[in-house]
Amino acid sequence: MPVHLTRRTILTLVGAGAVSLATPLAAQDVTLRLAFIPQENPDKLLGDIEAITGWLAEEIGVPVEGFVTIDHAAAVEALRNGDADISFMGALPFVLAEAEIGAVPLLSEVYRDAPSYTGRIFVRRDSGIGALADLRGRDIAFADPISESGYLYPLAEFVEAGLIEDPGQAEAFFGRVFFAGGYQQAMQAMAEGLVDAAGASQYADLLLTPQQQAEVTWIAESAPIPSHLVIARPGLDAALRDRFVDAMLRLNEPEHRNKLRYFYGPDGYVRADGAAYDGVRDMARQYGLLR
Amino acid sequence: MRNIMRALLATLASALLLSGPVAATPAKEAPWLPEAAAYRLTLFLGNLEPLPWDDIKTAWTEPYRGSEFSVGALAWLDRKSDIEPDGLLNAMMREDRQAVFAEATRLIALRIEENLDRALAAEESATAQLAVQTARELYRAFEDGIAAADPEAARRIGLAWLELNSSTGSAGVLGAGATSADRDTMEAARAVISGYLAENYLLDSFAPRRTLSALPETAVLSGKAIEVPPSLPPGSDIFDQDPLPLLVLNFEEQGIDETDLPLVAYGDMLFDSAQLFGSPAQDLGIACSTCHNRSDVNQRLFIPGASHQPGAIDVDGAFFNPIFNDRRDDPLDIPSLRGLRFTGPYGRDGRFASLRDFTRNVIVNEFGGNEPTPFMLDALVAYMLEFDFLPNSMLTTDGRLTDTTQEAARRGEEIFNTPFAGLGDRSCASCHVPDANFLDRQAHDIGSVAPGYEGARAGALDTPTLLGTAYTAPYFHDGSLPTLAAVVDWFDETKSLGLTEEDRADLTAYLETVGAADEPYEAFDTENTAFRLAFAELTTFASTIDTLLPRRDAEHILLLTDTVAADLSADASTMSNLPARPEVYALAERLAAVGAAVRVEDWEAAEASWTAFKSEADAIEERAF
Repeated sequence: MPVHLTRRTILTLVGAGAVSLATPLAAQDVTLRLAFIPQENPDKLLGDIEAITGWLAEEIGVPVEGFVTIDHAAAVEALRNGDADISFMGALPFVLAEAEIGAVPLLSEVYRDAPSYTGRIFVRRDSGIGALADLRGRDIAFADPISESGYLYPLAEFVEAGLIEDPGQAEAFFGRVFFAGGYQQAMQAMAEGLVDAAGASQYADLLLTPQQQAEVTWIAESAPIPSHLVIARPGLDAALRDRFVDAMLRLNEPEHRNKLRYFYGPDGYVRADGAAYDGVRDMARQYGLLR
Repeated sequence: MRNIMRALLATLASALLLSGPVAATPAKEAPWLPEAAAYRLTLFLGNLEPLPWDDIKTAWTEPYRGSEFSVGALAWLDRKSDIEPDGLLNAMMREDRQAVFAEATRLIALRIEENLDRALAAEESATAQLAVQTARELYRAFEDGIAAADPEAARRIGLAWLELNSSTGSAGVLGAGATSADRDTMEAARAVISGYLAENYLLDSFAPRRTLSALPETAVLSGKAIEVPPSLPPGSDIFDQDPLPLLVLNFEEQGIDETDLPLVAYGDMLFDSAQLFGSPAQDLGIACSTCHNRSDVNQRLFIPGASHQPGAIDVDGAFFNPIFNDRRDDPLDIPSLRGLRFTGPYGRDGRFASLRDFTRNVIVNEFGGNEPTPFMLDALVAYMLEFDFLPNSMLTTDGRLTDTTQEAARRGEEIFNTPFAGLGDRSCASCHVPDANFLDRQAHDIGSVAPGYEGARAGALDTPTLLGTAYTAPYFHDGSLPTLAAVVDWFDETKSLGLTEEDRADLTAYLETVGAADEPYEAFDTENTAFRLAFAELTTFASTIDTLLPRRDAEHILLLTDTVAADLSADASTMSNLPARPEVYALAERLAAVGAAVRVEDWEAAEASWTAFKSEADAIEERAF
């Protein structure tokens, strides 16, 4: 079900960033177009995009435009159509985009010194649930069906533990399976007692109130999941791509670190290692998302 | 640090919600949607007396303080909704409190319905999910009222939101993993939510409200007394300062360990304890240190309706202790408590000669707390008397500039000591006496207070010290002057001092030098974190149990364990060493166990838990960051 880039899928187009007089790259009419996935307040994202594109334009020496897509699918579609050159992307959508349109991984986000994180199964400490097997017939909330740490990896722990034959059998093991819409909503549903467990990022308990954080614990943790990344469309000019990557890596330098807050808040970026995403490719195959 | 937790508890409890797809990282708190924020502000401000109508109007026309949305609620509605807010506007024009409540409540309910309609009508999953998320975020405006009045309904609706979101389907990525929407389930879940809204919030008329809240109409009509936990409205900020001011304690500078000063340590704990105060301050986690954190000024503190600008608060308004409401909108710029033993009398107008009397007034009258015991007042005063000024190596002990200071500052020093006719042939130094910590312990009317009535002689204010003032902007009792340069300008203009531009610059340079410090802020790094500081403080507070247990002083032990166990547990959420968090939670439980044993007068068990706490705290200390 391809998603077509329409006025509805591209929500907003932000004006071109400032153009510096730095060495121009190839033709003057080159413009680098960045697709962003909405994560929070779209109003704030627009402000962030303006800051990002302005800074990148100065660093790279070509105009940079940014726009917000409605979701990962629309961003991948924009890369396919050439409406976007570069996009911020989750690991799972990336491996799918790679298979589908040959998307190229450029940079991986770094959190707490690692370009990876895990998914966990969280429960309330007073629930008496101490092991995955205790969740048989109980209700669980995941974040989203297309989420590595918020669904695929945590659910795979049940498969690994021999409790579920394959991901498609999850409904038979649990009482109810909900997709809450995000880590926050899944964790809140668990903390409030609406469900017995939540599958979410290892850091998702930090989204609860301090009091709730003390009331929850986790009973299983997945293998490391490579972090979100920045990807490019296959035909993007290699020199432009390199200059973009070099500019992004400068965000790790002390004088530029304050700009990271405009970029979904990672602690930094490293060059992406495509092989690091093999586990995600395997996982996508296991879930029937990738052939 | 502990204020961070209190702020989170107060502002985010049951209000943490994120929009948008999942990310790899801890995401931030979702901002309140503009109309939901305006509604919550309306409820909060609508309970103040006198009712601040201008603030209520601003709540709907301007973005709330700190909002990430660039527009206010009305402009936002104009962009995002087909609902006309005419009824609300009309009610606000008429300044009809009940009508504003009714119109605003209906408006939020209609906005939820509007988004539910959009979700049901959406052809694509992503569009439906966005609409569900928006509706869910708007529902936050009512959520605490429903949870307080009808937990079963809150649970039913909570599950309905889960059902609704789950049944919107998924577009997958490029077709992979796509699932279609389950319309029947969506309709059924929506019916649960809409049914409750229709019965409780989407009504033609509402029963008169003495107190505005998000309580459902059926609960109000039932006549049952239902308390909605106090909360601060969007735009509030009771977080700690950043950077965190350095706390200078006299005993500490002399190398004396606070654990050897149990009265001081207990006072330190009380200074950080919301238990001293009554509701709502106690529920919100507001303590002495919320405003005077690290003995200094919390320049960011802001509570709508009680603050006219950050760093200011009206402590005798309607919010904290209605019986003490002076019905005057007169927020004060929070004063620093550094060097407190040299700065009496106390209060901006020096109305309390005794620090003890002043402190009792803060606890009992301003913040509605119970009468403190003599021990508590002794402890608080003992602690506060340890507050020292920030060391400033550019000043001699008798308040003169050292030779290392800039030329401009030294020229300014001369001006500062020069008598002016406009000052009654006195100099600045006549009141801000350099060898008396730049104050004279007297109150003077310098004309900075607008008279409350004709002929009023009520404008005299206590001379404030100039020490440390480089970090306590803004200035004057009402924070009306943003910089020290503005203070110089004010005196020059109102007192006709006849200063040249260079004189003003020199005098400003002098004030900035006098007000400076060698190290004004705490220095943190990867392991010396804010949590490590909090951990050290909290375990020091707890050390007073060594004194209180042998005395079998249940009252003061319980106040301590209730405060410190909760703070320790809450503070753990700020740890950067996440794997050590469970140990800190266990330690907090150990301290709570001391309290539980004392409560039932099982002193042996209390002793055992206390001994275990001390050894476990020692074991954790290295990892406590």
